[in-house]
Order: sequence, then structure tokens, then C-alpha cells
Amino acid sequence: MLTVSSLTPAQLRARLHGPGLDIQTGPFVNRLHSNIPHLAAGLALLYGDYPLRAAGGFADFHLDLSQPGGLRRWWRPQVRFEQDGQHPFKPLPVDQAQPFCEWMMNWCVSNRAHGYLIVHAAVVEKHGRAIVLPAPPGSGKSTLCAALVCRGWRLLSDELALVRHEDGLLVPVPRPISLKNRSIDVIRAFAPDAVFGSVVHGTMKGTVGLLRAPAASVHRAGEAVAPHAVVFPQWEADAPATLDPLPRARLFMRVADNAFNYTLLGARGFATLAGLAERSAGYAFRYSRLEQALEIFDALAGPGDAA
Amino acid sequence: MAGGQALRRREWDGEAVLFNDLSGSTHLLSSTAVWLLERLAVAPADLACLAAALDAELAAQDQAQHDPDQDDGPADAPIDRAQLSDLLTHLCALHLIEPC
Repeated sequence: MLTVSSLTPAQLRARLHGPGLDIQTGPFVNRLHSNIPHLAAGLALLYGDYPLRAAGGFADFHLDLSQPGGLRRWWRPQVRFEQDGQHPFKPLPVDQAQPFCEWMMNWCVSNRAHGYLIVHAAVVEKHGRAIVLPAPPGSGKSTLCAALVCRGWRLLSDELALVRHEDGLLVPVPRPISLKNRSIDVIRAFAPDAVFGSVVHGTMKGTVGLLRAPAASVHRAGEAVAPHAVVFPQWEADAPATLDPLPRARLFMRVADNAFNYTLLGARGFATLAGLAERSAGYAFRYSRLEQALEIFDALAGPGDAA
Repeated sequence: MAGGQALRRREWDGEAVLFNDLSGSTHLLSSTAVWLLERLAVAPADLACLAAALDAELAAQDQAQHDPDQDDGPADAPIDRAQLSDLLTHLCALHLIEPC
């Protein structure tokens, strides 16, 4: 299987300029177009392990992140997102092209992939036990997810939990982990070998650094897994780590609050979410220290022969 | 019962989630509320009738859980009619039931 890393930098840029760079992320094929050199370099670094699909085949999402011409080419250069001939978002400064690309890939999934119940959540797995981490921004979800992944947990997603309607399994869509502000240095100190793309300042989310997904997680993107627990994390300065059980009906309602398309899916979404709640233990998790958090999560995953 | 409601629900540990077919919302309800909805899905009933049925149901549950080695203690008081009325009003506001 060809991966993005099989392309030379020139070939990668030629794909982006021409027929499109078709990258497989989990169940989706993204066709990317761009004329921005640093975006090409960022994709090579962060997506080198991802399957490369042949140009001209079927693609789920068509994304064009290009720098407009004219005066904008020289004066406060911008990146503009186009999908299917539409421009649903305002342009951003061109140095934000990489995080913009990630946000748009997320946007495509959360707005189009209704063959799944989509929850705003990280998903990690160890010993065949998947843990879903739904949480709003600022809760420490991505930091915790990154720490777990840097210690050997499999990354299914940092942003989008995909629950398959047919069997209730969690479908991986591993992509770079988006860390914000202080979390970037926290993870750099926690895992010095972690690979980051360029750190971008001044975005609408503050400073953003994209952590490369582990190659092993990318290679296992075809392996769906059963949910084991749903944990709502909340980072709190100096707080001891506590894991408090949640009643199942409350778990259901809190996951629904964090879902992108639960309302849109109607009764089908209800059935899928009920299945998730039925199969998962629910917890509210408060933490301040990553090492303590990892101990608790390792206990949740249980022994290695459970899979 | 309001027309069109399928009463899709799941119950766990004394609480339930119920999908509202008319509004598309999902409600977190007590098991008592679900019991009332099930009853009203069979046939319409007034407050007095529902209160009596609920008293009987609670008595039956107490009987089923009765431990002959334990002192019975005082019998439960009848269900609070005002609370029951408030619950029915709430279910009506959610368009799960309607007056007839």
C-alpha cells in the first residue's frame, strides 16, 4: 500500500496543484488541493504514514485550501477554503493553513458523515478496550488524549468519535492531535520524542500545535472496536485525580449534548446512543497531573489478556 | 397519550431516557413518569384513577420486596396528588400526553 511518504516533496506539491492529493483517514478519502508550499510540507510531515489513494478515484470530501491571487498574494496573504465550489468560511492568514486544513477536515466529517453518530470526543484504546472522552474545549481532553497516545494507547481520534449505527462499534479516524496554548509545552515536556508540525500563533483558538498521530494507530485505522467506557475529563489545577461513576441515563444525556448530529439523526441516533450507553461504564474524571491520570486509565483498560 | 409517540425509551437504575417522536427531543425522566406514560398509552385516565393505580403498584412492589424477618414499619402514605398533578403537567408540556 502506497503512503503519502512515498511521494517526493515535488510529487506531493504536484498532486496538490493538479489532480489532488487523495489521503485516506479512517473510512474517508480526502482530496486536497492547495498552492501553499508550507501546507504541502506540513502534510508530508503529519500525514506521511497515511494511505495514498490513486488520483481520480472516489473521494468523500473535496477540499481546496489555496492562497488567492491579486493583491492578497502580497498584502496580508490569506488562505481560502473551498468545498464543492462553496466558500463556507472567511479566509484566514496564510500561516494558519495547516490548522485550517485540520478544522475543515473535521468540519467535513461532522457535517456530512451521518452514517455514524458523531460525538465531539477523543477516543483511545488499549487491550481492546476503547474509552470515549467527550468534552467541550478547555476541559483538557486533547492534552489527556495526547499523553495517553504517547504512552502506547491507540489513537482512534482526538476530535470525532464515530459510532457505527449497525453494530455500535467505534470507527477510527486517527489524525493529528490539535494541542492549544500551554498544552503544547506540557506534552513536549511529557513526551520529548513527540513530533509536532509548525506551531501557529494567533489563531481563533490561540496558539495551535499539531501532534503527529502514531504510525501504529494510522496502520490500524481499519479496526473498529467496542466501547468500554465513556469518561468526561475536566482538568483542574492542583486537583487530585478522581473518577466518579455516572448513572447511565445521565451518561446518555451528556453524550447527546456533545454530539454533532444526534438531533439530526432522530430515532436512529437515539438507538445508537442507547447502545453506546448500554455497553459503556460512565465516569466524570477530574485531574491535574498526567501521571496520575495515566494510572487510572491503565486500571480502566485492565489486564492485557482481556481483548 | 399524544398521538404519534412510540415511547422509545431505555431505563437504567430508576431513570429513563425517552425519545419524543413529535419534537425530536430526548427527555431524562423518572421511572414513575415512564410508568405513567405506559399506563396512559393503554387507555386515558384521570388524576384520581392514576393516583389509585400508582398506590396499588407501589404496594405491590413493596409486597414483592417484603422480607419476613424484618419489621414492616409504618405503611407508605398514599402518593402525593399535587406532585402527581405537577408531573402530568410536565409531561403535557413536553407533548408526551394531552388532556382529553
